[in-house]
Amino acid sequence: MAVALDVAHTSAPAPTRRKHRDGLWWLYAIGKTIAGAVFVLAALFPLAWMVIAGFKSKTEVIQTPFQFFPEVWHWENYVQILADPTFTRTMLWTFLGAALFTLLALTVNSFAAYAFARLDFRFKRTLWVLVITTMFIPGMTILLTSFIVVTNLQMLDTLAVLVIPGAASAGMIFFIRQFYLSIPSSLEEAAMLDGCGRFRIFTHLFLPLSKPPFVVMGITAFLAYWNSYVWPIMTITTPEQFVVQQYLATFRSERSTELGLLMAGSALAAAPVIILFLIFQRQIIGNIKMAGLK
Amino acid sequence: MTATQTMMSETKPMIQPGGRHARRQHAKYRYRDGRIAYFLILPAVVLLGIFVIWPAIYAIYLSFHDWSFYKDPEFVGWRNFTNVLNDPLFWAAIGRGFVFVLMTVPVMLLLAFFFASLVVSVSRWAASTLKVSIYIPTIISSVITSIIFALIYNYSGGLLNAALAVFGIDPIAWIGDPAWALLAIAVPAVWLGLGLTSLIMVAAMIDIPTEYYEAAAMEGANWWQKTAFITLPQLKNVGLYLLITGFVAAIQQFELPLVMTGGGPLDSTTLPNLFIFNHFRNDINVGYSIAAALLLFVVLGTVSALVFKFVNSERLVD
Repeated sequence: MAVALDVAHTSAPAPTRRKHRDGLWWLYAIGKTIAGAVFVLAALFPLAWMVIAGFKSKTEVIQTPFQFFPEVWHWENYVQILADPTFTRTMLWTFLGAALFTLLALTVNSFAAYAFARLDFRFKRTLWVLVITTMFIPGMTILLTSFIVVTNLQMLDTLAVLVIPGAASAGMIFFIRQFYLSIPSSLEEAAMLDGCGRFRIFTHLFLPLSKPPFVVMGITAFLAYWNSYVWPIMTITTPEQFVVQQYLATFRSERSTELGLLMAGSALAAAPVIILFLIFQRQIIGNIKMAGLK
Repeated sequence: MTATQTMMSETKPMIQPGGRHARRQHAKYRYRDGRIAYFLILPAVVLLGIFVIWPAIYAIYLSFHDWSFYKDPEFVGWRNFTNVLNDPLFWAAIGRGFVFVLMTVPVMLLLAFFFASLVVSVSRWAASTLKVSIYIPTIISSVITSIIFALIYNYSGGLLNAALAVFGIDPIAWIGDPAWALLAIAVPAVWLGLGLTSLIMVAAMIDIPTEYYEAAAMEGANWWQKTAFITLPQLKNVGLYLLITGFVAAIQQFELPLVMTGGGPLDSTTLPNLFIFNHFRNDINVGYSIAAALLLFVVLGTVSALVFKFVNSERLVD
């Protein structure tokens, strides 16, 4: 997450530009509608195609001559994949892992964010520089040595290897810290006068206020876990422990003729994150802002 | 960028009156939160230490050694690095990475610019529909994207060849033909990356003060003039930012070719990171792969710095 995200401010209303009120205004309106439709279609069509292909029978998906819609809409694919215990178990297992990962990441990173935002301690600057440095280490350079580390820690083929190594994230610490810096310190001082300790201030004052950054970062973490593929294929080898992306990739190479089923499975595997995004789209999109780049 | 700014703003004056004792007293007061602070940062620092910092140090160590899982490391100096630098396959992968950047980043910036221009000129309802739609691909995994696009590219029954047949164009083996495979991967890469690029562009465009356009309109400027003399110059920094992050993301892309083609046919989609990843999996000499990864990191940093310098020096001219 190198993009500067800023939770402190809600999105400003878009300024309405002066409308073209010359004789050609209707031409602009038509042009804009077409352009907008093209963008929406280009973004959503591949997903719609996946869902449609999920309704096709085994031979229909790539049959010649080409057919856009299925001859008969086969609900069977969706029913069959949902009835497949391996698929449902994989989905639930991935969901559980993603939930644990999100929870752990939010806990660990918000703790650190609060300390770096509000507390004074020895070696604070050194530690902060160290944390920020980790943001600039490309994943590929440490992929193999991280693998060696988790091998030595006997973590291979467990849920822990997927949940623990990526939980602490400098980007997330940075993001939450930015938010905590924007909370006025007068609130804190008032709590201190009432005899609150630092940890109580964190749990009773900062955590309840943390919903905006927690929503954005929680979804980021959940998505990262749900969509991860490379780390799981390196560290998980027993099929019972597979995460959903791994399952789909394996399905694709091992059962390559059952394309309708594969598309149905892919659509179902994409559904949770799309639903999650649609629920929180306002927060996520509202938080994409450029800070300090003007 | 923002990181350094905030770090700098944090420096506090350390001049204290009084002697050593007073200073120690002050430190005691100042760091009175020390214990709770360490308790709070400990989990994050330990995790980052074990799973990021230590692997990074270890990677640098191993890059100077001849080592595999079956024997003790043996110091070989710069040999791994010279091996990588003398490997034409490494350079071919880097070159391919740059071609891939040229295929994706300019298109993405251009599309994002058009998208942003559209979004700021339509009603609020339309703007939010457009923003939500364009962002949805961003949350889809590379694996699912690969599955969808491989289906669309299918030679005999794929949607793309069927659509081209309407215009009388013969079917093309999009991911089976070395001439087309890289382009066939560039399209889903743009599809996945356009959402974030566009929304950053939109945010930047909304930040341009409306007064500029009002003043220009009073002078009778048309859309082209407003774009050329107001919008584009105002978007320069964001454009630079998107150019560099787009470059870094594109040259590091490797999940799409990993799933769609595995790097083939004839290495035509072996992007730099996939080259390294395939080495990890097939080459028992770990030092070589790690040296290649470190060299790629150096190349990335250098190019980003050059782009930054080049574009920034232009600003000095005007």
